[in-house]
Amino acid sequence: MHFKISKNLWLVAPAAIMVAILFLYPLCFSLYSAITLDNGSFTLEHLHTSFELYSNDILFTILIVLISVILLALLSTIIAALIVLSPFRSVVLILGVLYRLPLFIPFIVTAQMMRTFLAKNGLMNNAFIASGLMTPMDTVSFLGWSGIIITFVWKQLAFSTLLITGAMSALDESQIRAARNLGASRFKILTQIILPQIFPTLGVAMVLSTVTMMSVLSVPLMIGTGTPTMISADMAFRVNSYGDYHVANALGLVSYAICAGLAWFYLRHSLKDKGATA
Amino acid sequence: MTQLKIENLHAGYGSKMILNDFNLEINQGEMIALLGPSGCGKTTLLNALCGFVPASHGEIYVGDRVITKLPAEKRNITMVFQSYALWPHLTVAQNIGYGLKVRKVKTAEIQDRVNELLVIVKLEGLQNEKVTSLSGGQRQRVALARALAIRPDVLVLDEPLSNLDAKVRLNVRHEIKSLQKQLGFTSLIVTHDQEEALVMADRIAVLNQGKIEQLGTPEEIYRTPSSAFVANFMGAENHIEWQNDDNTLPAKSAQQIYFRSESVQVTVPSEKASSLSNDVHFDSDLTCQGHVLQSAFFGHHYRISVRCGAHTIQADHHSDLPENTPVTLRVTADALHIYNNQVETAAHHVPTSFQSNK
Repeated sequence: MHFKISKNLWLVAPAAIMVAILFLYPLCFSLYSAITLDNGSFTLEHLHTSFELYSNDILFTILIVLISVILLALLSTIIAALIVLSPFRSVVLILGVLYRLPLFIPFIVTAQMMRTFLAKNGLMNNAFIASGLMTPMDTVSFLGWSGIIITFVWKQLAFSTLLITGAMSALDESQIRAARNLGASRFKILTQIILPQIFPTLGVAMVLSTVTMMSVLSVPLMIGTGTPTMISADMAFRVNSYGDYHVANALGLVSYAICAGLAWFYLRHSLKDKGATA
Repeated sequence: MTQLKIENLHAGYGSKMILNDFNLEINQGEMIALLGPSGCGKTTLLNALCGFVPASHGEIYVGDRVITKLPAEKRNITMVFQSYALWPHLTVAQNIGYGLKVRKVKTAEIQDRVNELLVIVKLEGLQNEKVTSLSGGQRQRVALARALAIRPDVLVLDEPLSNLDAKVRLNVRHEIKSLQKQLGFTSLIVTHDQEEALVMADRIAVLNQGKIEQLGTPEEIYRTPSSAFVANFMGAENHIEWQNDDNTLPAKSAQQIYFRSESVQVTVPSEKASSLSNDVHFDSDLTCQGHVLQSAFFGHHYRISVRCGAHTIQADHHSDLPENTPVTLRVTADALHIYNNQVETAAHHVPTSFQSNK
C-alpha cells in the first residue's frame, strides 16, 4: 500500500510541480506584491491608490463584463436552442458551422477586425450608406464601451454556444419528445425543460468567459476610447509607464475579486439547486 | 367503434421507408400489441402516430379527426417512453401535471387530477419526491400517470417494461393491463416479448419488415400462426423442412414444419430400439430418434437438444438426460404448424390438403 501511494505521487509530481511553478508561485507573488511595500511590510496603500485613481475604470470594467455576460447568455442560449430544437435541419447545419468560426480567430485579430467594422467610416456604416439606409451625416462610431461589448460577445459567443449546445444535446432526446407529446411548444420546452437542466453548464460558460474578458488587453486598447477603460489596460499602463508592479498587482487583486464574485454567485445558485434536488 | 385508423401509411427516416402501405384499425378501449423483431417498424409506427416521424403518404385518423399533418403537440396521443423520459428537475407531481399545466388548466384542478392519478398508479405520498429518487417501477408508473393525465385519445407505450427487472416487470404489466380495463383507454403497446404481448393485449399485430404479418387475438396468434415467420416468432423454434416425394403431385415441394419444444414428447427407448436409424419420420405425427447433445436446467423442466439426422431439435423434459442418451421424440399432429414452401399460407395442425398429399 505504501509502495502504491509513493508510486502514485511520483506519477502526479511532474504535473503538480509545473502547476506550482507556472501558476501558484506567480499568483501568490502578485497577491503578496499587492499588499506589501518594497521592504516587505504589510500595506493597503497600493489598493488605496488603485481605487483612488481607477475606481471609474473598475466600475466601467464591471459594467462591461456584466452586460457582455448577460448578452452572451441570451444569445448563446438562443443559438444553441435553434440548433437543438429547430425543425429546419439544413439551416441548423449552416448555423452549426458558422457559430464556431470565432473560436479560431485570436482576440487581437478580432479587435483589429472590429476597428475596421465599427468605426465611423467603417465597413458597417459604409454598408448602411451604400444600401441607402443612412446618410454619411447620420453615422456614429461604435468604438468605445459598445464596441468593447460587441467584440467580447462576438468572440466569446462561439465558446459559450459550444458548451451550451453540448449540454443541450446531451439531454435525453425522449425528454424533449415527451414534452412535445404532452403539448408543450418549443419555447416552453426550452424554458421549462431544457434550461433548468443545463443551468450549471451555462454558469460555467459565463464564469470562464468573464475570466477571459477580464484578462484581454488588446480589445480595450484597440476598441476603447481611452477613458474610462478596462483595468487590464490600466495594469499594462502601470507596468509599462511607471514600472509600478505594486499597483498593477493591486488592480490584479481587484480582477480576482470580480471573477471570484461572479463564481461565488454561480456556485451559490448551483448549490442551492443541488440542495433542492437532494 | 374505431378510435384509431391508419390507412396506407408510408413513413421512415429520410429516403429510407420503414413502413410501406401500413394499415391498422383499433377500436375504442382496445389494447393492441405490436410484436416483432428489432427493425421491423414498431417504434417507427409509434413515432409516426405521435408526429415525431413524418408520414410521406397515407392518413391517420383519431375518431373522425385526421391528424396526419398535425404537429406532435396537437395530436393528443401520448407516449410512455422506454427510458421513462421523466424530467429530473421536477417532482413527481410536477411531472404528472405538466401536460395539464401546458394546457393552462387551473392549479386546483391540476392538483386534483394529479392526486387522483397518484392513487390509481399507487404512488400516494410521493408527489413531492424528485423522480430521481424513485425505483424503476415507480418511475414507469409516473410516466404512465403523466401520459394519462391529459386524457389522451390514444395512449402508446414504447417497450415500457424493457428497462425493468424480471419481477417488477411482471407486476407492472399486470398493473398496466388492469388500469387499461379500469379506465378503458385505447392503447398501442410495442414489445418484442411475446409473453408480454399475449398477457397484455386484446389483439396482437405481428410485424415483419414494416408490414403486419398477422393480426388477431392472442389465442389465434399463438395457436394458428398464419406464417412460418409468426410461428417462429411466437416460440415454435424447431424447424424441419420436409421434402415431399409423392410423384403424383404436379411438382416436388418442401413443407416447412414448425413446433414448440414443450410440444415434444421425449421417451428413452429400450436398448433394442436405440439401434434404429437417427431419422425424422412424418406421417400425421412427427417422430424421430436421436441422441442428446446437451441439457440445460430451465427451472420447472430441462431443455434438451437432440440430434436427429441432419436436424437439431429442442425438447422439454421433466428430468435431466446425460449426453449421448438415445431418445425418441414425438410431436402430435395438433402441435405442428406446417407451411408450403412456395406460398406461405396457413396450414395448421396438419391441414387436410397436406394429409391428402401423403
